[in-house]
Amino acid sequence: MKKTALFTALGSATALLLAASAPAGAQSAADRAVEAAKQFAGTTLNITWEAGLQANDPLNFSGPRWEELTGIKINVVEVPINELFTKTLAEHRASTGAFDLLNVVPAWIPDLAEAGALEPLDDFIDKHGYREELADIAPVYRDNQMAYRGTIYGLPDDGDVLIMYYRKDLFGDAAHQAAFKGQFGYDLAPPDTWAQFKDITQYFTENRPHDGFYGSAMIRSPGLIHYYFEERFRVEGGEFFDAETMKATINSDIGVGVVEGWIAEHEFMPPGAEAWGPIEVLNAWLAGDLAIMGWWPPPGRWSAGYGDFEILSFVPESKVAGKVGYALPPGGAPQLAAGFSLAVSSDSKNKEAAYLFAQWLNSREVSLERVQLPFALRDPFRTSHFESPEYQNLWPDAKDYLATLQAGAETGLLDLSIRNTFAYEESLTRAITAAFGGDDAKEALDRAAEEWDRITDRVGVEEQKRAYGDWIAKPNAYPN
Amino acid sequence: MSVAVASGGGFGRWADRRFKYLLILPAVLILLLVGVFPFINILIVSFQDISLIFEDRSFHGLLNYKRLFTEARLWQAILHTVIFTLVALPLELVFGLLMALLFLEPIRGRQVFLALLIIPTVISPIVAGATWRLMFDNQFGPINQILGWAAGEPVPIIWIVQKGFVWPAILIAEIWQWTPFMFLLLLAALSNVDKSQVEAAQIDGASNLRIFFRIVLPAIKPVLAIVLLIRALDLFRLFDVVWALTQGGPGTRTETLSTYAYVQGFQQFETSYTSAIAFVVVVLLSIVVVLALRRVEIAR
Repeated sequence: MKKTALFTALGSATALLLAASAPAGAQSAADRAVEAAKQFAGTTLNITWEAGLQANDPLNFSGPRWEELTGIKINVVEVPINELFTKTLAEHRASTGAFDLLNVVPAWIPDLAEAGALEPLDDFIDKHGYREELADIAPVYRDNQMAYRGTIYGLPDDGDVLIMYYRKDLFGDAAHQAAFKGQFGYDLAPPDTWAQFKDITQYFTENRPHDGFYGSAMIRSPGLIHYYFEERFRVEGGEFFDAETMKATINSDIGVGVVEGWIAEHEFMPPGAEAWGPIEVLNAWLAGDLAIMGWWPPPGRWSAGYGDFEILSFVPESKVAGKVGYALPPGGAPQLAAGFSLAVSSDSKNKEAAYLFAQWLNSREVSLERVQLPFALRDPFRTSHFESPEYQNLWPDAKDYLATLQAGAETGLLDLSIRNTFAYEESLTRAITAAFGGDDAKEALDRAAEEWDRITDRVGVEEQKRAYGDWIAKPNAYPN
Repeated sequence: MSVAVASGGGFGRWADRRFKYLLILPAVLILLLVGVFPFINILIVSFQDISLIFEDRSFHGLLNYKRLFTEARLWQAILHTVIFTLVALPLELVFGLLMALLFLEPIRGRQVFLALLIIPTVISPIVAGATWRLMFDNQFGPINQILGWAAGEPVPIIWIVQKGFVWPAILIAEIWQWTPFMFLLLLAALSNVDKSQVEAAQIDGASNLRIFFRIVLPAIKPVLAIVLLIRALDLFRLFDVVWALTQGGPGTRTETLSTYAYVQGFQQFETSYTSAIAFVVVVLLSIVVVLALRRVEIAR
């Protein structure tokens, strides 16, 4: 982290010099990218992007505009999030050169960089004077999701963080406040602990304002559930490994408590909530059927009902506009949960053009537009996004929303990122879903811990110990 | 008159003798390219150590084959696959045969029913799986709705999560999709049974059951054997429906050999280990197919 920060500081000075020598009329990083990219007019860039709503950005906004500005066509290859890593690595292994620009989840950067799939970006950054603008990216993303062993491989481009949304109209209701205090002995407010969270979900399920209303629902589907485990496990004091022996410790009492806690909470969630994915949770939330829920930042925008909802027609129209409060999850240290960095494929035949598109997308002014797109999923990740008066005025509570995201960007917990992270996540996910399916939580986590140990042995205990050491040295690996 | 005689040259005679081989050469080369080469490549890779972390192409002996015998999860997946095959195959056979027998008799609108019945078979299995996932949705799916009407109260079954329901859900989807395949082939076979033999047996007073087992079944046996073989192989490779419905979960409860191999090969990037699995499976299934075909030949 320190090394990256140092590079950033040094780079800022370089960038200033470069900016000073840039041609007139090309002062911003976005403008410089456009000017430099014009030499590649007529090229087509193949870019990977998460399938679904995420891809609306390059398909409907940034891609067409870039082509208009530079003459470079953008071909968007949509890939489901749980196949992005596999596809990226498989194409690299086969040296197909199928992709130029890659969307990568930062936790995968160590594996992809070690595999040689990613092009180092430092030279491009210096050549096109981008270091100064990198300094504006919120530290938790910039210092943790950009570089691997001192080399920059990705431009952090998405401020993913799991925050809580709650119905401030219900939480602020005097009758509910009195009844809740009478039942639980403390004030009704966004929960500071997961025990309080359970009380709140119980209260609102038992005192539902209308039929079909439940205290909460949270994302429980495979592929995402491990993020919630990683967050709650660390917030409650858990550590993934014994740092000396590298033996897995996810099956500790804390780990078992997390899974058993979830199972207990399902009693106060809609029937079948243990299989709910993000869309089910979102549907119930926007329909006004939940008191509190956790998600990435987009529901903050969708709940407010601003923007063009035509592309979002598959989710119900928001019935909660103006009724939503934002909070960090219990413990105050939210999981950053995925996020995306823009990386250049080492197999690309158009590396510089691909980098320039990334710089333009990621630049201060273009990214500010992108994170305000109501139909896409890119979330604020720059200090200038959080403090943008334009964004703060998008809806009445937008300032509170941005403040919560900014707070999350300060205390947010990094996703586990070591060698072969994907294998550990897959194993953990299976253990959790097995417990949801009726297996004993302790036995399921014991099996997962054994599998984690085997994965570690396969990677090499010393190699993994070094990777884990690098990771825990980052300030946001565990709660401060 | 051959080209060789017409030209009278040495090359002409050579070409004439080998003309038939030249004709099949492109097909043989394509077969080698798409069939034999990948198989040999799998064999070679299975003796190397290629994974996400390592790309060591040197010879590692039986490293990956030893691992096959120590991975409990693999054996559990094989067990799931075998049991599922043993349960699904007879059910598909019985349902398919009953439907075929029913359709042997003249029915009004027979062609329309036939067209409707084969629809599941022409749907992509992954689409069928995704559709069944929606059908089994505990909140909006019609299955729970119908069960709820029958029970007179909401039915809270979570088909793709709860222990006792995940396999039945997969079984229902699989039978729904592939029974029509069994039905179609058996209908064709039953249609070709010599009617005069059946009529003669009826005149002699043989019961329907006796006619079926003594005349009809022997007549359709070769087709039956081939149909069972094809479906058994398909079931042994069961992937799409399981992946779309449960992804092998909860935990590894519905993991089959194919989903396990997919996870190892394309999620954990254990390329050499997965190659070893693939090689062993191909060899085992080849033996089963050869033996089965030999039995069919004997039966004929």
